[in-house]
Amino acid sequence: MNQTATKYAREIEDLFAKYPADRKQSAVMPLLHLIQRDFGFINKQAVRDVAEIVGITPTEVASVVGFYTLYHDTPQGKYRFQICNDLPCALRGADQFLAELCKSLGIQPGETTPDGMITVEAVMCLAACDKAPMFQVQGPQGITYHENQTVEGALQLTKELAGKEVKA
Amino acid sequence: MANEITLTIDGKQVTVPAGTLIVDAARELGIDIPVFCYHPKMEPVGMCRMCLVEVGRPMVDRATNQPVMEADGTPKLQFGPKMETACTTPVSAGMVVIGMSDKVKAARNDVLEFLLTSHPLDCPICDKGGECPLQNLTMGFGKGSSRFEFEDKQHNQKHVPLGELIYLDRERCIQCGRCVRFQKDLADDPVIGFYQRGRNLVIDTSSEPGFDSIFSGNTTDICPVGALTTADFRFGARPWELKSAASLCNHCAVGCNLTYNTRREAKSDGNVVIKRAMPRQNEAVNEIWLCDKGRFGYHFAESHQRLEKPLIRKDGELVESTWDEALDMAAKELRAYGFRFVSLASGRLSNEDLYEIKQLTENLHGQACLYSPMAGGDLTPLIGYADPQGLSRVGKGTVIVVAASNLHQEAPIWWMQVRAAVKRGAKLIVVNARSTRLDKFASAVVRYRFGREAEAVLSLVPAAETSGESGKIIAAAENLVVLYGSDGIGLEGSRQVAAASAELLRASNLLGKPGSGLLPVWQRANDQGAWDTGFTPVDDLAKVVSEADGVLIAGADPAGDHPAYAAALKKAKFIIVQEQFLTKTAQLADIVFPVQSMLERDGSYTNGTRRVQRFMPVVEKLPGTRPDYLVTAQVRQKVVHSNLEFISAAQVFMVLAAHLPDYQNLTYATLMETVPQHPILGRSDVYYGGTSFENRQGLGVQLGTAANRRDKYSLPAAPSTQNQLPDLEHAEELMAVPVAELLDTGTITQKSVLLGKRTSTPFALMHPKTAQQKGLAAGDKAKISLAGVTYQAVVRVDESVPTLHVLLPRSLGIPLDKPVLVKVIQ
Ligand code: SF4
Ligand code: SF4
Ligand code: FES
Ligand code: FES
Repeated sequence: MNQTATKYAREIEDLFAKYPADRKQSAVMPLLHLIQRDFGFINKQAVRDVAEIVGITPTEVASVVGFYTLYHDTPQGKYRFQICNDLPCALRGADQFLAELCKSLGIQPGETTPDGMITVEAVMCLAACDKAPMFQVQGPQGITYHENQTVEGALQLTKELAGKEVKA
Repeated sequence: MANEITLTIDGKQVTVPAGTLIVDAARELGIDIPVFCYHPKMEPVGMCRMCLVEVGRPMVDRATNQPVMEADGTPKLQFGPKMETACTTPVSAGMVVIGMSDKVKAARNDVLEFLLTSHPLDCPICDKGGECPLQNLTMGFGKGSSRFEFEDKQHNQKHVPLGELIYLDRERCIQCGRCVRFQKDLADDPVIGFYQRGRNLVIDTSSEPGFDSIFSGNTTDICPVGALTTADFRFGARPWELKSAASLCNHCAVGCNLTYNTRREAKSDGNVVIKRAMPRQNEAVNEIWLCDKGRFGYHFAESHQRLEKPLIRKDGELVESTWDEALDMAAKELRAYGFRFVSLASGRLSNEDLYEIKQLTENLHGQACLYSPMAGGDLTPLIGYADPQGLSRVGKGTVIVVAASNLHQEAPIWWMQVRAAVKRGAKLIVVNARSTRLDKFASAVVRYRFGREAEAVLSLVPAAETSGESGKIIAAAENLVVLYGSDGIGLEGSRQVAAASAELLRASNLLGKPGSGLLPVWQRANDQGAWDTGFTPVDDLAKVVSEADGVLIAGADPAGDHPAYAAALKKAKFIIVQEQFLTKTAQLADIVFPVQSMLERDGSYTNGTRRVQRFMPVVEKLPGTRPDYLVTAQVRQKVVHSNLEFISAAQVFMVLAAHLPDYQNLTYATLMETVPQHPILGRSDVYYGGTSFENRQGLGVQLGTAANRRDKYSLPAAPSTQNQLPDLEHAEELMAVPVAELLDTGTITQKSVLLGKRTSTPFALMHPKTAQQKGLAAGDKAKISLAGVTYQAVVRVDESVPTLHVLLPRSLGIPLDKPVLVKVIQ
């Protein structure tokens, strides 16, 4: 059965209400967003489920997942630290920031900490070029922006996020 | 004319219809503006920038709105600061296009450099090498060497099977999107798509099975690089080693024109073998497309199970014999039994074969039976759809009715063309018992319960009280095309549908216009030719056959298709079979003549629109075999002492043309005539339209109709609107109806290994409620008992199927030629 349809029955109904009846496929991105938020990535089965729900092919859904950088097709850490190291940020030391943060966490860019909590990735411009070093964190609660950062501050944040998990 | 525009391209003037794109206007002058993403059969997208040209437009004085003139009196031109894409820019009056300046060449050089940042240029091992747009344009405009570090190249997978038939080399893809757009916009199967973006972008499929589309092969023609290749041709040969032979697809009534590429090779014992099938442009038939059955389904001829010697029955056993002995025996027996002679032939045979068999049948005062469950071939010469342009140009003003047909499976290319016609503004009305893949493009859908097809078609007649919305659409039609197929009906049902369709056309008062008429979706390539040469289907074939003294069967395997026919044949006194294989029918014969496949000989077919087309020999003939027409002619010569022993297909066609009024004046030479076709494709500039071949071997001849000639003719009376099938409400059994499945296991497709992997399994399609009643669910194996025999089929469910019915595929092992009651159990 289509587990996605069952799990998000209410949300799907609300979403469909926003679009004309013959434009169900408009709901593809918000639906993927729900899955991304709750599972941290969108697997093949979810792609098939969404395709069935909105009435397009799995290939078309996969194209959407592939195109947008905030949808992920493989599981990674619960929180993704996405550090901008595009040119303007690089001029303000983003590369060094990225290297040091990774070193402190004991991982390489693109990798995840052994406890599965934190993934660090380098990304393209996030439109806060004047406030580098900066990053965004993509996690179950959504996306948060962190500007004018220090390595210490970022490390503190990783600890807080991990701590929250332990309590929960 | 107001809607014609004159412009200048590279110093030459050309006049084209308004709305024409610069790139297409240039083609008319023979100027090739290079393209990658643009394809003349698809909407432009302007993605690759290869087609940049300098465009100047006459300057207009803003104050006076008058054109500004140069001192010499010529209009002053204004060139934009940037170049424009010729594939997205429509022409305008007085436009001047410069397609070969240094600036343009530099732009092409730059675009190529970008495209080649990660492309491997491994032309020496690439299947496209030799006919590759990227290779040609790199030679023409590219840099001699790359400025990019080899290490910085993106290395993608080079061997990605997208499905059973198509392989992808991701490194070679230049992201033009032609394949993705074809699958979405033309094939309506968006099962391949872009994945990721930027340099990481790849083509991918998520369908199950991969690249699940019956049109997939076309993407390999239009891919401008060697990224998409067929499993058939991959690493098979270099294009320049190949010879070409013009042929026709013999799998359905569309009659697609194709070119077989052949090569003599050591690994095939020095024989000429077919390396691939390619479309040959015929805008009135298949344009530049082929379905996968046509492209990959030719391997039957290579099968090692072919018959090579005549067989005769001696002491109850079929033993090998010589042609002389077998022919003598045939003649002797036919002279003895000739008083009740029946010939049974199918549209797998060419016009020449059928004509000879018909002559023999007449000589013996016998009955010529067509092995087909469809009627109406006598109506097409009167009111057939005979537009010389074919379906590919149909658009606004035309109403297309598709009745009792699962067109997608019955005639794939017509399906694609009907869909395209709707996009161009034609209106579609679908009349079918269950939903089909045309429904979503239809302006109106009419449903009926099986058995009430004629009633449903007649309900469209504008005057009919029941006609409603669809009646209004038809009343407003400028042209009306009615296609009817064989979805869920047998011969009797087909007769009703054909008559009802004729009545609908008559009532529309549009008959006589070339764009209006009847178009039967025959099951075989030359069914229409069989009707034209005098064959007709019979209601009780088993009875007719069992009562015959002598039976000649050619191009058909009734015993293999249906146990009832096998039983009937056992009763016939004397059977001659002309076959390529030792089929079940051949096994029952007294004489079996080994014949050639269409690939080994020439001949002609008449397609569904009654276009007569020629096919040429492609490979060498199998030693010991003869073409059907020759076998029959030789038998005939011995029976009635006709003096035609050594004849060619061309000679038979001449006689045929002399005797069949509609074929008057036709010769092989006239069938081979061509006229320029648009878009201009298939020349050396393969980048423009892909690797479809230019048609230099003939477009065929469209036969006229009595209606279009304004001759007198009479149509059958409108059929009754009675239900043709028994009432089911209280029956234990279900009504089983036969439906078409493109990739079936007919005598020809099952011999094609490649398609074998894509062949459907037998299924039983039911309404979910009906399935539930029988204790079945989708995916279960159902047992279907039919005339005492039990068959297995996988249950499929579809809410649109009428309850208490079960749809079973033809030619997938379950013998069903008309609706019958069956028991279905778990
Ligand atoms: S596979 Fe070929 S047709 Fe498809 S996007 Fe790549 S280059 Fe274009
Ligand atoms: S549409 Fe019909 S004629 Fe054309 S390639 Fe397919 S099977 Fe052959
Ligand atoms: S370059 Fe980093 S935010 Fe713009
Ligand atoms: S942009 Fe014109 S052909 Fe690609």
